[in-house]
Amino acid sequence: MIRGLWNRETVALMLLAAYLPLALFWLWLGGTGALAQLALAVLVVGIWHLVFMLMRAQAPSLAALTTALAIAMLAPEDLGAFRLVLGVSFGVVMGELVFGGWGRNVVNPAIVALSFLGFGFPAFSWPVFDAPIAWAAIPAALIGVASGAMPAAVLAGAALVATGAVLTGILPEQVLLAAGIVLVLLVADPVTSAATTLGRWINGALYAGLVTFFAFGWTGAAPVQIAVAAALLTSLAAPLLDEAALALWVAQRRRRHGRT
Amino acid sequence: MVTEEAAVRAPSGRSLHVTPLVREGDMVAKGDAVACLRHAPDVCFVAPIAGQVARLSLLPGRKLSEIVLFREPDGAVRQHDPGQADATAGLRRLMQGAGLWPWLRRRPFGGMPAHDEKPSAIFVMAADTRPFAPDPRQAIAGREEDFSRGLAALLRLTEGPVIVCQQAGAPLFDRGADDGRIRTITRGARHPQASAGICIHHFFPAGLDAPVWDIHAEDAAALGTLLDTGELPMQRLVHIAGAGLRDARTVWTHPGADLRQLTQRVVAPGPHQLISGSPLDGHLSRWLAPRHRQITVLPRETVHSRPHWLVSALTQSAGAKPAIPTAALSKAFGGALPAAPFIRALSAGDDETAMKLGVLSLLEEDLALADYVLSETGQLTAQLRGMLARIRTEFDA
Repeated sequence: MIRGLWNRETVALMLLAAYLPLALFWLWLGGTGALAQLALAVLVVGIWHLVFMLMRAQAPSLAALTTALAIAMLAPEDLGAFRLVLGVSFGVVMGELVFGGWGRNVVNPAIVALSFLGFGFPAFSWPVFDAPIAWAAIPAALIGVASGAMPAAVLAGAALVATGAVLTGILPEQVLLAAGIVLVLLVADPVTSAATTLGRWINGALYAGLVTFFAFGWTGAAPVQIAVAAALLTSLAAPLLDEAALALWVAQRRRRHGRT
Repeated sequence: MVTEEAAVRAPSGRSLHVTPLVREGDMVAKGDAVACLRHAPDVCFVAPIAGQVARLSLLPGRKLSEIVLFREPDGAVRQHDPGQADATAGLRRLMQGAGLWPWLRRRPFGGMPAHDEKPSAIFVMAADTRPFAPDPRQAIAGREEDFSRGLAALLRLTEGPVIVCQQAGAPLFDRGADDGRIRTITRGARHPQASAGICIHHFFPAGLDAPVWDIHAEDAAALGTLLDTGELPMQRLVHIAGAGLRDARTVWTHPGADLRQLTQRVVAPGPHQLISGSPLDGHLSRWLAPRHRQITVLPRETVHSRPHWLVSALTQSAGAKPAIPTAALSKAFGGALPAAPFIRALSAGDDETAMKLGVLSLLEEDLALADYVLSETGQLTAQLRGMLARIRTEFDA
């Protein structure tokens, strides 16, 4: 028989292709320091995937690279190798591998790792992104949506609310830039974002709303910290959004057809 | 094109206990009953060609495997009395006795409807979007009157609507006095938009106590001819295509036709496999299945040597890999239902959620595209079959 090509690894490859502009701009501006951080993250994530393959026969995935990139880009600065290894290990093992690998996880492992690092080592400052890197998030989103690997409704929902917030002037530019990068890297993840169309719209809108809310009321927080916290809460809420969207869909069908 | 050999096979779905009505060596006319259901002797399987019964093979429990016929050039044709169809019970008896019943399919659970079942709606599929499918419009071209008569007869079998799924174009039948129960819906040209299950799910979902039937437009026209002349026409338009052919072609043949003979002069050199049905949802077979209208010829995959252990560990160590919800997956269901929650419910064996999402309207062929898109080899369809069997034993015992 014949087989198509949208298996798990193709989606991971498409996500990698989408992240390429973002990663290249970041490496170009960050230099060897950024490259070393990325290499360390890739090494640690790769080792954990290998461990789970050998111990639990769990096939590794190329999504490991996207996780490593997100952590390397967004982790607090000057952590040192030991803290970074600790954070990455916690995020990858507890956020993804214990659930059965990429595709079965509930939260994005990079969000878990970043939240762990943020809560665990609050003394270290969060990175600040220049405008060119944030602009690179736009081609990343476009590639992701065009290949179908990123949920378009999440991006659209977030863009809608963010536009409103920027127009009313309650979303500072620095937060907007960080939130854009986090949106592409962490929130628009096909696995852990909501899976229904309505749920995805709300998912994106909720993320942008939380970012705006934190930027408005959380004094002393760094832009990336705000965005990561919003991403964590959004991904925890995603199953609830899905459940609500499904209930609505079922109720509509029941009203129209008398059964589902 | 009538093949030299033909076989009578049971429709897909539950295997059926039958009583053979012929013995090996008997001569049969075209349209003669060769077997009937043991528990409903009204429902007959008929010979698609006139000939001699060559082999009669039954599985344990007297379940029908296949009855092979050799063609006789100047065989007779069985005539039925169309007059008995004036009453609805007579119409049913005529359809069952003339061998048209196995061309119907019911949902939920699939397979041929029970002999006394009353459907809530009947879908007449005058569109087919599967890859390499022949155009049903071409199959019923010039038979509009028969088609209209067939629709009118189908209308008498149900108290609900008869829904004709077609692609954009001229109307396929003349609207007579049908009190508005014959509805026409227009579907797009991309698979799975005219997949019967997706249409049923969208317009009239099947339920445990609301069975929905579907029938191909060509078979509806055949019903019209049967009511007019008393003779069930066996010819059907079949498209032969696939990567293992020198050139594709469309032929008029009959159910149970011998695929080897039909493809004999057009296959490319080298090993190949013959599939009855589309490349997405067909199965390896020598005979054209009762409802199929496509033949796919694919080159046979050569068996590779075993890969390195590390490659196997990287690619095959875990069982089924999870499905990632992408736009491709949503499109594979034609946007009819939330794809990712449905696939999750299916793979987790969550019957109740899957029933809420409409699993009762779907059959294997509707999920074949999703299987293809996810690059699986039949996992989803196997999970669906398991789930439907479970629901059937639980609710429909």
